[in-house]
Parts: sequence; structure tokens; C-alpha cells
Amino acid sequence: MSAISIKNLSKVFPIPFRRERIVAVRNLSLEVQPGQVYGLLGPNGSGKSTTMKIVLGLVTPSAGSTQIFGRDSRMVESREEVGFLPENPYFYKFLTGQETLHFFGKICGLHGAKLRDRASELLALVGLENARDRRLSGYSKGMLQRIGLAQALILQPRLLVLDEPTAGVDPAGSRQIRDLIVDFKNRGITVLFCSHLLGQVQQICDRVGILHEGVLVREGRLDELISIDNQTELTLENATPEVLAQIHSLLASSNARIIKERQPQSTLEDYFLDVTSPKK
Amino acid sequence: MTPTSTLYADAPARHVFFSPARIWAIATNTLLDLIRQKVFYFLLIFAVLAIGISPFINQFNFQDQFQFLKDMCLGAMSIFTWLLSVLATAMLLPKDIEDRTLYTILAKPVPRFEYLLGKFLGIMLLLFISLLLMSVIFVITLYGREQFALADTMRYYANAPADVLQAQLKSIHDASFTISLIPGILIIFVKGSIFASLTLLISTFASSMIFTIMVSVACNFIGHLQAIARDVWLSPGTAGPLARSFLALVALVFPDLQLFNLVDDIVAGNTISLILFTKTAALGALYTCIYLLLAYFIFAAKEL
Repeated sequence: MSAISIKNLSKVFPIPFRRERIVAVRNLSLEVQPGQVYGLLGPNGSGKSTTMKIVLGLVTPSAGSTQIFGRDSRMVESREEVGFLPENPYFYKFLTGQETLHFFGKICGLHGAKLRDRASELLALVGLENARDRRLSGYSKGMLQRIGLAQALILQPRLLVLDEPTAGVDPAGSRQIRDLIVDFKNRGITVLFCSHLLGQVQQICDRVGILHEGVLVREGRLDELISIDNQTELTLENATPEVLAQIHSLLASSNARIIKERQPQSTLEDYFLDVTSPKK
Repeated sequence: MTPTSTLYADAPARHVFFSPARIWAIATNTLLDLIRQKVFYFLLIFAVLAIGISPFINQFNFQDQFQFLKDMCLGAMSIFTWLLSVLATAMLLPKDIEDRTLYTILAKPVPRFEYLLGKFLGIMLLLFISLLLMSVIFVITLYGREQFALADTMRYYANAPADVLQAQLKSIHDASFTISLIPGILIIFVKGSIFASLTLLISTFASSMIFTIMVSVACNFIGHLQAIARDVWLSPGTAGPLARSFLALVALVFPDLQLFNLVDDIVAGNTISLILFTKTAALGALYTCIYLLLAYFIFAAKEL
């Protein structure tokens, strides 16, 4: 059974008092398998958020159907196993971090010691134990995203839907969130992930779908989509000039040619985090 | 960040179609939001009004002083309750949509009717607590003035026959707080619930908070004219077909708020019969249910 099954989905928004209409999603079909991290990509206005909202039952499809673990996503019950983090969430600013988790736990049917334990566990998981009694109005952008992730996990979801989870977050916070998503994947949680940060998508997604003007223009395993079939990448360690000369001479006697030869580089993100992280 | 091992261990609880606990969680959260926004500061204005008016009414006799105090306090309670019900309700949905909190809540197994009911119940709790606190301030003020009046009367009639003194004291007791004021306060609450449900209904389709408030205020004015519109609509030959259709619309859509003006009678010393009180309260509950039901139908179909 697929974690998410979308079949022939279309969504049309009529413009009030005008005869025009906006087609947000056009005949979209895709499957997300359990345990996958699926990246839904596309420029602004391509229909990503609308698709997510339809999957979550917040918007009604004009045509087609969506299912979560075999249950029609228009049914409230289908959301039992889903956690959602919207783009730029604010939550209730007057609540503390702990109160926020207690509130979301209560509306999910948790209470008593079980709720308190779950809230404490989640605060520890997202690194907000020290800010548990601080109101969200005093939280930074990264902290808000992390409390958002914690509330998404409150009901032990098998599926997480994350809309731009690292938007506006500094590199350290972004790395923490990315590590959390990798952790979810290792725990077998399916993640539907929507982001403009393609580098991050490339690092964590198993499969991606690219939407453009409401149409799914490309879909497949990430390694299949972006690999260059007729090229091979070698990274050597401790190669002496003699070894390199031998490789060059071997290549010269074949049809193969070197396109690029350089010393591998760290990423700017790794370098930045190394420079700015507290020294132990 | 630390990994945990038990986070995903348990099976999720089965979804229940109707959960009073979920509704209560949303209601108490709504109340907490309003409390932390310091809405109860308006009580200070009420207290200042109730207590601060004393020096200006000393020139009246005791009966008139009590009459004035009751008139003013119940009037202020009515206005503050109306204001609270309209302003606090008008911001509920737009704020949750703007902050995307609504998405987060409805993306969980929470039916939309429970969300609406929870929000409404939160406002009802706010109105109940506000009215209770205003009533306490009102009773304390009235009691203080009564004690002052009793002491003054006893001093003035110190040498008068006992039966004359007793008659004077009784007239002060009768003019002060009486149990007949309670139905008046309860009707203020009922009226508040009508306005809260009506404002909630408007906010389900309104494009902005200002629009919601404006329409709700307009409904208050129209509601006080509803009886006239109904009478003209039901009297044959008094208006053309177009005007009659319009009047029918006004009579059917808007609440007849004149029926809820029992406070004036109560302050004037008239006792409200239990039947009239029950009928008025039941009518208020009916209006509230109808508006909530309409709000649900619109909200259930709303694209978020």
C-alpha cells in the first residue's frame, strides 16, 4: 500500500465575479512509497502547496482522488497518521513551547502522563528543552520551525508533510532540520518534502517530482534523474604524480577523455558550520 | 538534538468522530489566547464606571441612586458583552488563517465542526467569566452603597419610631440588589451568544476582520428593527412585492433583538415571569444554533 496515492488530480480555482479560472493542478498522478523521502519541486505557483493541501484534506480536488495509506484524504480519519508542518508557521504566539505541544497533543486525543512524556521527548528531540517555558513570540525562525516539527510528530505519524521546512532558517538550523528528516527516514517515516533549496533536496530525497504550471513534468528516483550516463566520477586519495601520469597515459590510449580534474572541495555549508559552530 | 527510542513505539489512538475533549482543548486554548491578550483590562473601565460614578449621584435620593447605578451597570454590562462577543469572535478565524495555525490544526484528525464549536465555546467561556466578574463588581458596588445608605438612614431616623425606621430600611433593601436582576444578567449572556455565533458565521465567508465587525454591527442595528420589518411583511397590502420580499428577508435572517431587551423592565422594578425568561432564553439558543449550523456549512466547504 502506498503512503500517498494521487490519481488524475486536478484543481481549478474560479476567480469570483470573473469568468476566468486558475488551474493550479492538472491531471497529476504520483505514488509515494512507505519509507521514502519524496521531494516535490517546482517554481512559485506551480501547484506544490495546493497538492499538499489536497493530500491533507484542506482543499477539495476538482477531479481525481488522493489517498493516505489507502484512506481517502477527504476523510478526517486519514489524518491520524499524518504530521504537517506548513510554510512559515507561527502557531499561537502566546503559548510556550511546552504548552504548544500539550495543545496539539490534546486535540489529537493524548492526555495525562502520556502527553507530558511525549511533549518532553519531542522537545528533547528538536533541541528545545531549554526553551520549553518560553513563549513562541520570543522564538527565532529556526526554533519555530523546530517546534513545528515537534508538533507534527505528536501523533506518531507514519507520514510527514513538510512545506519549506528550512525556509528562512540559518545554515546551522537548516542543518539540524535536515538531520532530523534523515533521522525520520531512518525510523521508517515517509516524508513528503517541498523546498526551493535544491541542494538540500538532492541530499535527502530518494525520489522527486517536478511540477511546472500544475503539471508533473518529471518524476523518478533522484539518482536516475540527475546521473549522466556516459560519465564516471573517480575520487582518489593519496594518488602520487606517478599514479596520475599512468592514469592519464591509460586514458590517452582509449576513447575516454578527462572532462574535469580538480581537488575535491568541501561544501560552503560545511565550511560555514565549521567556522561558526562553538569550539569544544 | 537527541535521538529517542520510544517516540514511534505506540500505535496511534483510533479516531473518534465526536470528542468533547478535543472541543474543550480548543475552547480553553481560545480563552487562554484572549486572556493573554489582556482583554480583561476592560473590567478596569467597568469598575471605574461603577465606583467612580458615586460622587455624581449623591445628590439623588437613595432609591434614585440605586436605580441609576443599576441602569448604568447593567447597560455597561450589556455593551461590554456585545463588544467582546463581536470583537473577540471576529478575530478568531482570520488570525488562525493568517498564522496558518488553522492548517496545522485541521491537518490533524480534527473535524471542522469541532474546531468551530471549540472556538465558539472559548468565546462563551470568555463572556461567562467577564459577566461574572462584572456582576461581582456590580454587586459589591451596590452592596457598598446600600451599607452607606443604611448607616445614613439609621443616623437620620435615630429618634424616629422603630416601625418608621424599619420601613425606611426595607425600602433601601428593596431598591438595592434583588434576585430579579439575575434573569436580566443571564439574558445579556444569551444576547452575547447570539452575537458571537452571528459574528462567527460572518467570519466564515468575510474577506477581512473589519468587514466581519462592520457587518456584525450592522446586524445589531437591523436586529432592533426586525420586529417592524416583520410586522410590515406580515400585514397584507402594506408594501409592494419587492419591498415585501426584502422585509421577509430581514425578518427571517436577522434576530429580533427587541425581544431580548428585558433588562430595562427589570431595572424599572418589573418582575420577569419564568415563562417569559425561558421563552426568551430558548429563542436565543435557537438563533445561536441556527447561526452555528450555517457557519459550519460554509466553513466545511471553505477552501483553505
